[in-house]
Parts: sequence; structure tokens; C-alpha cells
Amino acid sequence: MKTQRKIAFPRYAEYNCALKYFVEQGLDATYILQPALTRRTEELGAKYSPDFVCTPFKTLLGSMIESLEAGADTLFMTHGFCRLGYFGELQEQILRDLGYSFDFLNLAEHSTGKKKDWVRAIKWVNPRANLGKLTLRARDTIKMVQYLDQVTSFYYENCGFDASSGEYQKTYQQFISAMYTVTSKREIETVYQRTMDRLRRIPLDKPAHPLRVGVVGELYTVMDPFSNLELEQKLADMGVEIHRWMTLTNRLIHYPGEKNLNPEIRDLCTYEMGPTSTANIWCARKYAQQGFDGLIHIKSASCTPEIDIMPVLQNISTDYKIPLLCLTYDAQTSDVGLMTRLEAFYDMIDAKKRMRR
Amino acid sequence: MKQAYLGIDVGSISTKGVIINEDNQILSSSYIWTEGDPIGAVKRLLRLLEEDFPKDTYTVMGTGVTGSARKLVGTIVGATIVKNEITAHAVGTTTFYPNVRTILEIGGQDSKIILVENGVAVDYAMNTLCAAGTGAFLSSQAKRLGMEVEEIGGYALRSQHPTPIAARCTVFAESDLVHKIQMGHPREDIIAGVCRAVVANYLNNVGKGKKILSPVVFQGGVSKNAGVVAAFEDALGCKVFVDQNGHLMGALGAAILARRSRVRRAFDFAVEDLEFHTRESPCGRCPNNCEIICVYQGDRLIDAWGNRCDQGAVTPD
Repeated sequence: MKTQRKIAFPRYAEYNCALKYFVEQGLDATYILQPALTRRTEELGAKYSPDFVCTPFKTLLGSMIESLEAGADTLFMTHGFCRLGYFGELQEQILRDLGYSFDFLNLAEHSTGKKKDWVRAIKWVNPRANLGKLTLRARDTIKMVQYLDQVTSFYYENCGFDASSGEYQKTYQQFISAMYTVTSKREIETVYQRTMDRLRRIPLDKPAHPLRVGVVGELYTVMDPFSNLELEQKLADMGVEIHRWMTLTNRLIHYPGEKNLNPEIRDLCTYEMGPTSTANIWCARKYAQQGFDGLIHIKSASCTPEIDIMPVLQNISTDYKIPLLCLTYDAQTSDVGLMTRLEAFYDMIDAKKRMRR
Repeated sequence: MKQAYLGIDVGSISTKGVIINEDNQILSSSYIWTEGDPIGAVKRLLRLLEEDFPKDTYTVMGTGVTGSARKLVGTIVGATIVKNEITAHAVGTTTFYPNVRTILEIGGQDSKIILVENGVAVDYAMNTLCAAGTGAFLSSQAKRLGMEVEEIGGYALRSQHPTPIAARCTVFAESDLVHKIQMGHPREDIIAGVCRAVVANYLNNVGKGKKILSPVVFQGGVSKNAGVVAAFEDALGCKVFVDQNGHLMGALGAAILARRSRVRRAFDFAVEDLEFHTRESPCGRCPNNCEIICVYQGDRLIDAWGNRCDQGAVTPD
């Protein structure tokens, strides 16, 4: 019998725990978890990437190299709705040129939407995979992603008002660690319930009308705390409620679809501009209508779809008189500049709110 | 003894300081080059401020620090408040120009725009990633033309036909400029062109999508350049106000913030004679290798920062 494949996927926020579960419990293969993203990952990625490609490409490539170093022999790469769809092909070529030997599953080649193409991909990974069991574990995986997003959203809405000394953050970190070790549906449920119970019991020192900021932006950078220099934590720590609609749950599992979302923003823009543009515009206006105190737009340098929506966000900002902060990320190593902008943004929305009272 | 407040603004290129009284009147002020040494610059600045300061009638009871080196300098001088430069500029300007609607600011390496409504900042933008169209660009181009950056403003006003220069990117602007020089364009036309390029770059980047309403106040080091001021007035079609203390506005804002805060601590000018140094030490506890900055006064570690997690936390002595 051939030994089990050792599968890895580049680091993407904390979603790797769900993938680990799916690979180990559903595909009956070994999952290799490479180290968390660090500056080394970024340097490795930047060294072997085309200079002007967007930062997520570099980070993903660096993380792939770190997973090969950790012993992976099979790499997964996602498909995507923008240039992301071409990433896998180029990354595979770069890694082969570097002399690594590995099998590569580029989902972009299999995501035809037809079931038989998915089955072919699964059989390629593990010819003995049990499709019935795999379907069940796939459902658990989806549930896991949803729980992860629910807890994360709840955390960033409240962690800035933690009245205990760091209990909130500790509970959240323990939740993330636990999600990397779960092996059954029951454990997933238990960890989720236990975390939510604990979080709800921690005393909060939260005003009746706290400052609320809505964060929108490009798929990878907006969700990955390493890539956005922990923007959400930094801003929350100033005493702000953070809302971010853009999660895998909302974008992949519950996405209303371009057909349904586009009519809602027709008065702001006519055409679809990219994978997250319609959702971001729709979501930014929703935040504005709900009386949020500020909007933050996050993108990596040279992300064309997100550059394109900036004028629309400006219009929302003017129409609803809601301050907008646009941030562009590249492979920076210092967060001093980000702190300056965030502190100023906080001062501004805080002064504005006080004046309105 | 009456109370006075010290404001220090340590930027990438210049270091500014003011001491004000309760009525925001300037008792002493100074403007010097940072020269890549914020600690040394602040010590020199304090010596200069001390010269004009009426010590017999006033004592400094609050110290505000702003600018990109605010954290380091705040630690050294024992600041009562440390604020980002955007807020400091907005506070400074709205104090002296309560009706202002738009603040344009171009410094050595950054540029920002602040929109104000009823004396409160309601929107702002600051350049990210790229320092095109800032004072550093003007300085390097002045040097290329063999001039001091202070003289080019007056020179630009003499031009009748400013040379068009690519405004999109500093690197492109520079090659464009070299071509125009070699083609034989007169020097004043080229300088006026550079000033216009700075303005075009500013309006297309940080100013993009912002509604610029009058009254407009322009400040920061570049506001001392008459050529850029003229180019702004031309592009915006309205009067652009430049305060005679526009280059000190960040420091003034910091001093006003120190006055408004409730924290009071007497400032000791003896700081200028103490020895401070910093040491960078890579953390090494994980592959992220955070660069931890340790600040020493003599042999005593007084503060440290730069770590992203608790593993790299350093406790001062």
C-alpha cells in the first residue's frame, strides 16, 4: 500500500484548521501544518516572485515553500475569481524551477462546477477515499468555517471592551488552538459552544453607543491578520467595535451571488469589477446606512478590482458623511505608519461622534 | 510663575519645537534639520528653545510630542502626551483658523489632506507606500539643478512658461526633468514645472476624490515654497492661506494638546545634557525576528518596543 499523502495548503488566516480536519478525517491523508506566517515567509515569497505581483501571491508562495520544508509532498492551491485563478499555475512552475519535487493539485483545473470533476480530483488525491464519509466530513468542514467566522466576528466586535485583564484574547486564542486539534463533529460543536459561553460570561466595559467601524477590502489581505498588520486588533484595542462582512462564510458559503447583489448597488455602479467588489460596495453602504462611525478599505498594492471600487467608496463616504480610510499594503516590515493612520482615524471619528451628541 | 507648554514635532527631514503660554502665544520656537539623528536633533532643538524662553516668568508644565519619531522622542523628554501628526496638525490649524475647511500639508516624506467641518476633522488621507510629490523630491531636484531648496520657490515665480513635467511618479518625473534640461528648457521654467508636478501629484493622489473647499490652508515645510503655493492657487482656483508659522503647525498642535490634557509634569531642560542611545536587537524567539528597539539613558534601559507578541517583551529597568 502506498503511504499516505502529506498534504499542505498555504496559510490563510486561521482557515487551515478546517482544511486540516477535511484532509485528515475526510480524505484519510496526512495534513502538514507549516509554521504561522512570519517575516521569513514574506521574504522567501518575495525573493522568488515577480516583483510587481500582488502581495498575497508572495505570501502564499512563501508559505508553500515553508510547507515543503516541513515535509509536505502534495500541495493544494485554490482557484479564484481574479488573478488568483492563475496563481497556482505560476507558483507550481516557480517551485519546480527551484528544484522541489511534489504533487500539485490546482483546484482551478477542477472547479468546473461538475461533480465528476471534483470526484476525479478526490480520486487523484486518494484512490481509496470513501465518498460517503467524505461528504459528511465536508459538511463538518463547512460548519467549522462558519464557527470560526462567527467566533472571530464576535471577538472583534467586543474584544476592545474587555474589562478583565486579557481574558477575551486568551479565550479566543485557546479556541483557535483547539480548532486545530478537533477530530470529530462532536468536538467541533463542543469547542464552539464552550468558547461562546466563556466569551459571553467575560465582563465587558462597553458604552451604549460605542464607535463602530466597518472593514471592507480584498479577499486575502482583509482576512489575514498577519498581512494587514493586525489592523483589527489594533483598532479594537483603542476601544472600537469592528465589523467585517468579508469572511469565507459570507463570500463562499452564503454569498447572495452577483445576480442578487448587483441590483442593490446599481445606483452606485453598473458593472461587476472583480470577485469582491460588488460585495464590498454593497457592504460599505450597508455600514453607512446603519450609522457606522467609519469605513476602512484594505487592499494589497496593485489589486486592480479593489482600486476600481475606491471612487465608489468615496461617493458613499460623501453621501453618508462617513469617514473613509483607504490602506494599501505591500511587503512592509514596520507598522509605525499604520499606527499613525489608525490613531488619527480614531481621533477623528471620536471627535466627530462627541460633537454630534 | 505662569504655565507654559512645549510642543515638539520630529519629522523625517526637520525637527520643530515651540513653547506657548495659556493663550497660545509663542514664547520660543525653533526649526532645524533632523539629519537622520532624531535624538541629537531634539537635544539641539531644546538648547535653541531654552535661549529665548523667559524662564523667570514661565515654567513648562506640559510636553506634547508628535511626528514620525514621536515614540522615541516622547520617551526621552518624558512627554505628557504623544499624538500622531495628523491629529496634531488638525488641532493646530483649527485653533488658529477656526473657519478652515481644507488643510493641505506637504512635509519631507509625507503628504496629507484633512477636511474640516465646524472646526472638527471629518475626513483625511495620507500618502501610503510612496513618497512622490513631497519635500524630499523638491530637495533632490534642487540639488540636481545646483540650488538650495529654499531658493527655488522665488525662482519658479519668474517663469512665464512652466515646463510640463510628468507628475505621476518621482522616478519618471526625474527622468522627464533630465530630458527637459538637456533639451534646453530655461531653468526657471523647469523649476516652475517641478512645483506644478508636485501639486498635480498631490491632487491626484492624496487629494483624489476629496472635495476641496475654501478656506484652504497650506502648511508643512513645502508651504514655504512660493512656487508650490502659486501652483496650488492656480490648480484650485482659490486663495491658499500660508501661515507664517505654517511650518511649526505640528509642534503648535502638540503644545495645544499638552495644554488641553489634564496631565501636568514640570519639564526639565537638563534632558539636553543627558546621554541617550538606542540599540536594535533582533528578537530571535520565532522566525518573525521582530526588531526590538531598546532605549537607554546612560546604562539604564528606559523603554523598549517593536515586539509583535509577549515573547519579545522587554521590561525596562
